[in-house]
Amino acid sequence: MATEQQSGEALSESRRSGPYASAVNWMEALSETQFAYLLLTPALILLGVIALYPLATTFSMSLFADQLTGSARLGEFVGLQNYIDLITGARDFALPSAFLPTFTTQFPFVTDIYSSALMVTLIFTVFSVLFETLIGFGQALILDQDFRGRRWVRVAIIIPWAVPIVIQGMIWYLMFQPNIGFLVGTTDNPALLNQLGFIGTTPLRDTADSLFLIIVADVWKTSAFMALLILAGMQSIDRSLYDVAKVAGASRWQQFKLITFPLILPTVLVAMLFRTIDAMRVYGIIETMAGCQTVPSLSCLVVTTFNAPLYGTSATVAFITAGIIGIVVSVYIVNFASEGI
Amino acid sequence: MSNESSGIGLGSDDAEMKRGPLGRWVNKAIKNPDRAYRSMFYVATVFFLVTTLFPFYWLLVIALTPNRLISNMGLLPKGFNPEVFITMFERVPFHLYMFNSFVLGITTTVIVLLLASLAGYVFGRLRFPGKSFLMLGILAISYFPPAAFLIPLFELFTGNTAISIGFITVSSPDLFNTPAPMVFPFSALFLPLSIFILTTFYGQIPDGLEDAARVEGTTRLGALFRVIVPLSAPGVATAGVLTFIAVYNEFFFSFLMNNGEASSWAPIVAGILKYQGQFDTPYNLMAAASIVGVLPVAILVIIAQERIVSGLTAGALKE
Repeated sequence: MATEQQSGEALSESRRSGPYASAVNWMEALSETQFAYLLLTPALILLGVIALYPLATTFSMSLFADQLTGSARLGEFVGLQNYIDLITGARDFALPSAFLPTFTTQFPFVTDIYSSALMVTLIFTVFSVLFETLIGFGQALILDQDFRGRRWVRVAIIIPWAVPIVIQGMIWYLMFQPNIGFLVGTTDNPALLNQLGFIGTTPLRDTADSLFLIIVADVWKTSAFMALLILAGMQSIDRSLYDVAKVAGASRWQQFKLITFPLILPTVLVAMLFRTIDAMRVYGIIETMAGCQTVPSLSCLVVTTFNAPLYGTSATVAFITAGIIGIVVSVYIVNFASEGI
Repeated sequence: MSNESSGIGLGSDDAEMKRGPLGRWVNKAIKNPDRAYRSMFYVATVFFLVTTLFPFYWLLVIALTPNRLISNMGLLPKGFNPEVFITMFERVPFHLYMFNSFVLGITTTVIVLLLASLAGYVFGRLRFPGKSFLMLGILAISYFPPAAFLIPLFELFTGNTAISIGFITVSSPDLFNTPAPMVFPFSALFLPLSIFILTTFYGQIPDGLEDAARVEGTTRLGALFRVIVPLSAPGVATAGVLTFIAVYNEFFFSFLMNNGEASSWAPIVAGILKYQGQFDTPYNLMAAASIVGVLPVAILVIIAQERIVSGLTAGALKE
């Protein structure tokens, strides 16, 4: 009844003349392709103005020198000089932290790892993604079981994922600020973590300690994301495969190794791709917990040079960051393609 | 596993031990390995519950302890000071920051749902040249770091970008300290995920239903908004919840695209950091504000758990 009325209205509307009716008639007369592009226009305009245009502008800005005096934002055109200076280290004097570490001929061939934005970001990415995958796997194995209260265990595991980054940073700041709690001691009265050598007595002022704690905080927040994706992969496995394995006398470990693991591997790789991209952009947790002076990630370097203001340098670092993420993405995609997924 | 092997060692070395409670348990575990797996499972569950929930408990401990007593804290609060949840609003207008966060979140969610509905309909139900290229392009955009957009967007929204059309030069309006410099980047940033979720849902509606509506005389857009969208209500809810949570959690543009004052539409990021900048480092207020700030998303997770799980997995695995 309601639909009849509505369709009746629509009919009478289309017979009526006026701007609305002519717009409807025009839209009805479009071909499927034209209609598709018409509906995509708003989304494409938004993405064009907010993503494509800034990306192109960032690249063109990276070709100009910094302008420290006067009202102009950028200096003269210098081509790829910004990129060359950053990679050779000639620009380091102007930066709060170097871009690349110092290379030496002795093992392990690099020094000053923690003062290099690129190395700090890569260390963060590799370790946080690795541990998130392992812990997410463990959580997924638990959520895959049937037990009473499963729903509440799942809520408990997901909640850290939904915590705002600034609050996540605040939580870990409050846990590892010296003198507040039992996790960080003093030199006279060291806490367990100090005695084991994991962290010093002022962990949030030391780059290596802060980086370690930021990785832990990130693992705490995002393992749940991994767990949910891996769980979805596990639950799409045909359960009769396990029945066959049981009849054939396979142990639990063999079932895991020969059925679960190979079947969820593609899912795990996709999940790792998402986390890698996200981890390479790390900024907020650093800013809240330790500050960009202590842990200089690539995004930190973009923001500090932008505030300096060294627009040319900032744009160059930003574009290199995007480029590195692009390389990581293509490595994963090539791997997928070669595995025939 | 290790339990079983040590059990064998125990049993053969010392017959006395066999009669102890541990020995009995080990014996049963050997006869019935499922018991061992079961207990491993409980240990792991408790471990994960403690590690995920302890940080929240720690916030409560710090919040309830009066600030002058906060040093060398143990596992229990020193004192009981619930007034902290009133003091925190007096010191910093945190309720205004939360209001701003809600406004930004809801505005972004509406924009994203509208644009993603149109795009999801196109990708899920229409066939046209350039479809897979466009989908890949939208996916690629979501890979780029926000840092790569920062400078041009900052210039654009502070009114420093000039566009010349012929002889006329128009400079962009100064929108800094309004919601716009946050809402538009958020919308662009979180649009791809919603497009992919809605593409999946809209693609599953049988063609017959849409055809029937069209035969009845509904317009093309009418069929989308009166038939397809209502039938995909769970998908729309999923995309909406995920977008809102993403905006509420966002840091980069929330932090950089305003001057940090509640009157300039700064969201909770600035509110929380305000407590860190106070002269007397009020740890208890920081903890209390964090608890209040987490509550809305925690409630959302409890209510919309199923939607979040299905949305994250469907959206991410589809991409």
